[in-house]
Amino acid sequence: MAVETPAGPTLADKLYDKLFHNYVWKSIFRTGYPNTPRNQMLVVATNVFLHLHPTRIHRTHVKITHTYCLGGLSFFMFLGLTVTGILLMFYYVPSVERAYLDIQNIQTTVQFGQLMRNMHRWMAHAMVILVFLHMMRVFYTGAYKPPREFNWVVGVILLVLTFLLSFTGYLLPWDQLAFWAITVGTNIAGSAPVLGPKTRFWLLGGFEVGPDSLIRFYTLHVIGLPLLAAIFMAVHFWRIRRDGGLARPL
Amino acid sequence: MATAVVARPVARPQPRARDEEVLVWPDLVFIEFIAAMVFTLTLFLLSYLVNAPLLDQANADVTPNPSKAPWYLLNLQELLLHMNAAMAGVIVPTVWLVIMGAFPYFDRDNEGQGQYFATENSVRITIASAIVGFVGTWGLIIWDSGKGAYLVNKWFGISGGSNLAFLESERSIQQQLPWPEWSTHIPYLPFRGVTILGQQFLNLNFPAWLVEQAIPTAVLVGFPCMLIYVLWRKGWVVTRRDVLLALFSGFVAAYGVLTLSGTAFRGQGQELVFPWELKVSEGIPGQE
Ligand code: HEM
Repeated sequence: MAVETPAGPTLADKLYDKLFHNYVWKSIFRTGYPNTPRNQMLVVATNVFLHLHPTRIHRTHVKITHTYCLGGLSFFMFLGLTVTGILLMFYYVPSVERAYLDIQNIQTTVQFGQLMRNMHRWMAHAMVILVFLHMMRVFYTGAYKPPREFNWVVGVILLVLTFLLSFTGYLLPWDQLAFWAITVGTNIAGSAPVLGPKTRFWLLGGFEVGPDSLIRFYTLHVIGLPLLAAIFMAVHFWRIRRDGGLARPL
Repeated sequence: MATAVVARPVARPQPRARDEEVLVWPDLVFIEFIAAMVFTLTLFLLSYLVNAPLLDQANADVTPNPSKAPWYLLNLQELLLHMNAAMAGVIVPTVWLVIMGAFPYFDRDNEGQGQYFATENSVRITIASAIVGFVGTWGLIIWDSGKGAYLVNKWFGISGGSNLAFLESERSIQQQLPWPEWSTHIPYLPFRGVTILGQQFLNLNFPAWLVEQAIPTAVLVGFPCMLIYVLWRKGWVVTRRDVLLALFSGFVAAYGVLTLSGTAFRGQGQELVFPWELKVSEGIPGQE
């Protein structure tokens, strides 16, 4: 008669235990590896980044064709732009004497500088497009309807902030493209009745694009507007959760 | 007895349907991860293949022709060619943003949310309005550029002659009609000379006002109203949601056309040309 001996832990089990149940791991992640439904919910609920999500969502909302991930990707572009933007800030000085040369230097002498600049530029374009498309998807799914009225308004503000972020960045390379685009753009703003000329003067720090405009656009671009956008995004995400997750048919 | 006043939201969130739910980890987190990866790789590849533009150093004395705003503002720059600058550059976009922000306060019915094109005629309304917005905007751009009259003459040999020359573009209404002398400086009675917010009211140049403000306003307000009216008469537009569908779809199409035409169809002196005829000259105006 064969005696049944319980199989001891395999090598994989031991390794797993060492990796995910040790003192250090558990001090960082309160949960074990998310391989059981309980741990999967805990990992979302206890992780500061993941807990932007609820732990469970309606199954129609994980279909790609419902959101096309457009809101999430807009946010992802914002994060990517922050990272590449910080790297560019290491080298770029917003003065008329240096700006253009710094950009040239970034492209020619800084390791991966050209790549960073290209990424920053193309991500910025992508973000403008993605935010617009996100707005279209929200509209056509009727997701602005009650109780999400206010989050739609927050969205419209985010759309404007996205345009402004991109616009203020456009001047920074201080080349002909930048200079004249901002000249044309601020002329448009300046044509407003009553407040136009004041707004233009305030934006440019003078009557035409010059050194004072560069420092203003830079400050708005790297701190003022990103801060505002981050605040409104926080409100946007908070409201999505408060309004009961994404819209679904009654 | 004390009564507590509790502020109630206009509408409460729906109760959750727990049995219809899936776990965020892994179902959603996985999709988000893939989407982020696809975008990261694509953007890396794009950045590897195409460099961000860098022209000559900024020079206030050398004006490129044409000078253009960033592409997402070229819709406004295009509008600028057809009407009063303050209207095109500031009033129209501001009014539109306010209208768009007010959408949910106009359409308060929570029926038909969370699904694409949930109401009965929504697809038809969307397609019809987008076509109207597309064709209408191109039509207006071509007409106002004067190319419409030119092409009709060239292709079909039809010309209105000098009697109808005022129809060639918006500006010709001002230039080709025999406006009486007095109509270009009608005093603003009774508040002539009054200064409101830094602007002094003296005389009204009626033809200029007609062309730069009245007609564009009529077009911008009238066309969407007409579209909605026609779709309503056809029985397609029934609810407020339908009104918004027509308005928004028409806007998206018009916005797209304006952006495209401002970007790819405006050459030197902002003349309407084909994209392959686009040239930029960097030079001092008058010395090229
Ligand atoms: C920086 C810009 C923006 C970011 C980062 C952002 C992010 C997001 C994210 C991540 C979601 C979750 C669902 C999804 O991905 O579609 C969402 C939902 C939503 N967004 Fe945005 N958004 C932005 C701009 C806008 C704009 C321009 C609008 C509209 C004018 C808008 C209105 C909404 C609404 C109403 C929802 C709820 C959708 C639903 O319940 O189905 N957002 N947003």
